[in-house]
Amino acid sequence: MDIDVLAHGIVAGSLYALVAVSFNILYRPTNVFNFAQGELVMLGAMIFASLTSLAGMPWLVAFAATLITVGCIGLIEERIAVAPILARSQTGTGWVITTLATSLIISNFVGRFWGPDPILVKPPALLSMESLDILSSRISSYEIALILVTLVLVLIVERIYRTLKGKAVMAVAEDREAALLRGIDPGSLGRWSFFLGAAFAAMTGILASPVLYASTSLGPDLLLKGFAAAAVGSIGNNRGALIAGYVIGVTEAVGASLLSPGYQEAVIFIVVLAVLLLKPEGLFGSPNARTV
Amino acid sequence: MKAIVSAPLLSAANVDAGYGHVRVLEDVSVDVRQGRIVVLVGRNGAGKSTLLRALSGLNRPTSGRITFDGRDITTARPNGIVDAGLLHVAEGRRLFRRQSVADNIELGRYGLRLTEQEHGRRVAHIHELFPILQEKMNLPAGSLSGGQQQMLAIAQAMMREPKLLMLDEPSLGLAPVLVDQVLAAILALRAQGVAILLVEQMVERALEIADDAYVMQNGRVIASGLAADIAAGDALHAAFMGEHGAPHHSEPRQSQP
Amino acid sequence: MSRAVIPIAMQLAALAAALALPAFVGANSYALFVATQLGIYIIAAIGLNLLAGYAGQVSLGHAAFVAIGAYSVALLTVDHHWPFWAAAVVGMVLAAGLGVLAALPAFRLSTWYFAFITLAFALVFEKMIVEWRWLTKGFAGVVSVPPPSAFGYEFGPRPLYYTIVAVTVVAFILVRNVVHSRFGRAFVAVRDVEPAALAVGASPQRTKLVAFVISAALAGVAGAFFAVQKTVVTPDDFTADFSIFFLLTVVLGGLGTLWGPIIGALVFFLIPELLAGLQSWRMLIYGGMLLGLMLFAPHGLYGALRQAWRRMAPANPGANAAASEAREHPPIAGLALDITGLRKQFGGVQALDAVDLSVPAGSCCAIVGPNGSGKTTLLNLASGYYVPDAGSVKIGDVEALGSGAQKIAARGVGRTFQTPRLIADLTALDNVMLGAYTRERAGLLATALRLPSARAETRRLRQEALGFLQFVGVADRADVEAGEIPHGQQRLIEIARAMMGGARLILLDEPAAGLSMSELERLERLIMRICGLGATIVIVEHHLDLVANVASHVTVLDRGVVLAAGKPSAVFNDERVMRAYMGDRALKAGVPA
Repeated sequence: MDIDVLAHGIVAGSLYALVAVSFNILYRPTNVFNFAQGELVMLGAMIFASLTSLAGMPWLVAFAATLITVGCIGLIEERIAVAPILARSQTGTGWVITTLATSLIISNFVGRFWGPDPILVKPPALLSMESLDILSSRISSYEIALILVTLVLVLIVERIYRTLKGKAVMAVAEDREAALLRGIDPGSLGRWSFFLGAAFAAMTGILASPVLYASTSLGPDLLLKGFAAAAVGSIGNNRGALIAGYVIGVTEAVGASLLSPGYQEAVIFIVVLAVLLLKPEGLFGSPNARTV
Repeated sequence: MKAIVSAPLLSAANVDAGYGHVRVLEDVSVDVRQGRIVVLVGRNGAGKSTLLRALSGLNRPTSGRITFDGRDITTARPNGIVDAGLLHVAEGRRLFRRQSVADNIELGRYGLRLTEQEHGRRVAHIHELFPILQEKMNLPAGSLSGGQQQMLAIAQAMMREPKLLMLDEPSLGLAPVLVDQVLAAILALRAQGVAILLVEQMVERALEIADDAYVMQNGRVIASGLAADIAAGDALHAAFMGEHGAPHHSEPRQSQP
Repeated sequence: MSRAVIPIAMQLAALAAALALPAFVGANSYALFVATQLGIYIIAAIGLNLLAGYAGQVSLGHAAFVAIGAYSVALLTVDHHWPFWAAAVVGMVLAAGLGVLAALPAFRLSTWYFAFITLAFALVFEKMIVEWRWLTKGFAGVVSVPPPSAFGYEFGPRPLYYTIVAVTVVAFILVRNVVHSRFGRAFVAVRDVEPAALAVGASPQRTKLVAFVISAALAGVAGAFFAVQKTVVTPDDFTADFSIFFLLTVVLGGLGTLWGPIIGALVFFLIPELLAGLQSWRMLIYGGMLLGLMLFAPHGLYGALRQAWRRMAPANPGANAAASEAREHPPIAGLALDITGLRKQFGGVQALDAVDLSVPAGSCCAIVGPNGSGKTTLLNLASGYYVPDAGSVKIGDVEALGSGAQKIAARGVGRTFQTPRLIADLTALDNVMLGAYTRERAGLLATALRLPSARAETRRLRQEALGFLQFVGVADRADVEAGEIPHGQQRLIEIARAMMGGARLILLDEPAAGLSMSELERLERLIMRICGLGATIVIVEHHLDLVANVASHVTVLDRGVVLAAGKPSAVFNDERVMRAYMGDRALKAGVPA
C-alpha cells in the first residue's frame, strides 16, 4: 500500500476520531446523539477563520473565543431543543428531530452569513502545510502535529473521566436515578457536557480548517464520518473512537485511491453496515451485562 | 416513658403520591425522630418504596408536606435533599456496577468539599465498619456478592455522614449471616446518632432492632407506634395475611417518645 | 386511536374537491401541476408517517427511496422502453429492497441508529447517482420521460392527475387498514413498550422491518409518478433538503395520525406560495418549524385539531360496553412447565442456583419467597427474557431454552409484569386484541386489502377480545385508552391480553401487588376460573392468602434455591419456610391455609 495514502488516511481519521469523541462527550450523561454536531464543527471552523484570517485576531485569542462561543451555542441547544424533550420522556427519540432542526438552523444561518466560499486558514506559527518528504510520504508539519495533538486530546479527555466529575458522568450514563440518589444532578452534568461537547466540536473544526478549509460543507460530511467512527468504535468509548477513526480514514483513502474519490462515502457506509451487522455494539464495546 | 418534646427530624404529613394516573399513596403521615430506627412494614405494593421515593424527591407528592431538619423539602430536587443530609439507598442497591468499589465510594461524596484528610478519615471509617470492602477496592462493583454490594451501597451513603438514612430492603437476597452484619451496621449507625428509616421484608428482624414502626397497606398507614407494640398487635398480621380489617392503630400516635 | 375526528362527510368532501379540481382549471395549468405534485408527496408522506409516527423509526433519508422509484421509471422507460407500470413496480421493489439492505443492522439497535443510517444512505445514494454517469447520466439527468399509457392511450395531465388521486386514496386506505390491524397494534407496541410486544409474540425487528418495507415501497411509488410528472429526473431533485421536507410534512400534520400527512402536505403547499419572497430562507424556516412543532405541538396540526374537537364534543361513554354479555370460555389445554437445574448469575450475585420446578398441565402453582429470592428472575428465564447460565426449561415437553421471548410467547406462554405493561396510547380493547398477534392468520396483504377473510377474522377477534374483557370484568373500559385506566384494572386487562394470545401456560408476576381488597377478591376468582378452564398457571406472589386459596402446589425460593415445595398447607406450616419468609412471629400466629 502506498504510504502516502496511509498517512493521509491517518490525518483524516484523526479528525473523524475527534468528532466521534465530541459525540461521546455529549452522549454519556444524556443518551442524546446530537445531529447538529457536524454543524457545530463547521461553526467552529467558520468563526475561527473569520477571527484570524478576516479580523486578524491572534491565534490563541481567536481559539479561546471560538471555543467559548460555540460552547455557549451548544448550551443553548441543550436548553431549547433537548432538555424540554427529555423532560417529556427520558426514553423517547423526539430529540432526533429537534437536534436535526438545530443543525438546519445553524447550517442555513451560517450559509447566509458567510456565503458558500471556503476560507483558507493558515496553521499556527512554526507549522505549515508545506509538504515534507519523510519516509517517501508527502505530509506537512501541520498534519504531523494534528496526529499528535489528537492523541494527546483523547488521552486528556480520558483523563477527565477519571476525575470525580467524570466518574459522576459515567454514573449518570449507567443509572440516572441511582446517580440522583447520590446527590448528582444529571441536568447540570448534561448542560456541562453539551457545553464541552460543543466546544470540543469547535476545536475539531479549528484543527480541521487548515487541512479541509473552513466552509459550510464541512458539517454534513464530518457528521456522518464522525458517526461512523463513533459507531464502529462503540458509542461512548473514546479509545475505540480513535482507532475506529483511523480505520475509517484509511479505508476511505484506500477506497478513493483504488476506485475513485466519488466512492469514499459509499465505502465507509458499507464498512459501518458490515460492522454493525456483525457486532451491533461496535468493535470495542460489550453489551450491558444486565438490563433489568 | 416520658415524652420529650422536640420536632421530628423528618416529618411527612398527609402525603399523596403516585405514577402518572396511578395514585399509590393516600394521606400518608410518617415521622422520624433524631437517632431512632423507624421501620416501615407491609406487603409488596403497599406503597413503602413509593413513600421513600417521595421523601427523596424522585416522585414529587401530589399533595401533603414533607419537612426535614426544619426545612420544607416537599418540592426540593433530589440533589438538594441529599445535600440536606437525607440519603436513600434504593431497593436492589443500584450501584454503578461498571465502576470500581473505590470509585463508587468516592462518588458517595460527590459535590462535597472535603479535605484529603477528611476524605481519608471517612473512607477509613467505612473500612472499619465493612472490612471486606477494603480488600475489594479495585474490583468492579458488579462483581461483588449481594451482601458486599449492600455494604457498598450503605458505605456510599455514609461518605456524606447523613442525618437520616433510608434503606429499602437491605436484606434483599442475603444469607442470614450477612443480614446480621447489615443489621449490626444499622445499629452502629444509630449509635453514631444517625436516624434510620428502614423498609424491610424480614419483618421480625426489623422490628427487633427498630424503635418505632409503621404498617402500610394499599397506600395507607394502617398502624403506627413503638416497634414492640406493633410486633405484639394484630395489624401486622392483617397487613401481611390480607385479613380484611379496617385501619386500626395499635397505639395512639402521641405515645411516640 | 380509532376515534374518528374528521367526520365521514368531511372526508368525502375532501375527496370530491380533489376529483372536481380538473373541471375548474386548465389541463396545462399550474394549479393542476401543483395538485398532481401534492398527491405524489402525500403518497410518500403517508408511508413516512407509518414508519416514523406509528413504528417510531424516523427516516431522515426518504428522498433516496423516492429517487430510487424515479430513476427506475426514468431509466427503464427511456433507455429500455419498458411500459410505465412495469417500471413502477420495479421501482417500488427496488426502493424497498435497497432500503432493507441498508437498514437491516439498525433494527437491532437504538432508534437513532436508524435515523443516522437512513441519513447516510441518502447522502451516499445522492453521490452514487452522480458517480454512475454511465447509468444515470450524471448531473444532466434523464430527460423526456414518457407519460404512462394504457390500452394505447397516452395519459395527459388530467388522467395522470386522476391516476395519482386514485393511488393516493388507495395508499391511504391500505395504510389505514394496516394501522387498524394487528400490524398497527404491533407497531405502536414496539414503539412504546417493547417488552409487551415480546410478550405477545411480536418480534420488534420484524415489526420495524414491515413498517419500513411498506414505507419505502410507497416512497418508490411516489418516485415513479414523480418521474413521469416532471419528465426530467436529475440528482438535484433528491437532496437532503427533500428528505427534510417529507419529515416536516409529517411532523406538521401530526406524527402517528392518519390524516396528519395529508393535512401537513396541504398546509405545506400553501406556505411556499405565501412566503414566495422568503425562498432563500426556506431551510431556515423549515428548521425553525420542525423545532417549534416538536416542542409545542408534538402531534402536529391534527393533534391540535383533535384536542379542540374533544373539548367541544366530549366522547360519549362506551356504547358497546353493556351489549356483550358474560360468556363462558371454551376449555384450554394447559401446557406443562418443567424446569431442571436452572442457574443464573448476575455479576457476583447468584440469582438462581440449580432450581427445579415442575408444574403439571392444568395446575396452578405458586412461587413464593422473600424479595430478592429470584422469583421474577425465574419467570424471566422461563419466558425467554433472560438466558440462563445452565439448566433446562421444558414447556409442554419441548425444550424452550435458547428461544427468544417472542418465540416462547408464540408457543402459548402468556405473562404479565410486576407493573402492568399496557400500551398507553391504545384502548383497552386494542391492548387485548394485541394479544392475538400470533394467532391471527391474515397476512399483511389480506389485511391491507381488507379481504373478506381478514375482515371476518378481525370481527371475530374483536368479539373475542370483548369477551375476554367481560371475562376479567372490565368490559366497560373497552374504549378507554389504557394510560387512563386505574392500576388494578390494568392488571386485569393484562391478564385478558395473555388469554387472548391463546396462552395455555400463564405466568403472573405479583398480580396482587397494589390491589385493593375488592380487586383482590376479583383477581382470586379470576385466577380460579382460568385454572378451571384447564390453563396452567404459575403465579409469583407475596400475598399468602391468595396463594393458599388458588394454588395447588407451592414452591418456596430463598436466595436463589428451592427451600421447600409441596401443598400450600404443608409448606406454609414448614418451620424453615416461615422463618425465611416472615420471621419467628409468623410461627406463633399461624397461617390460614
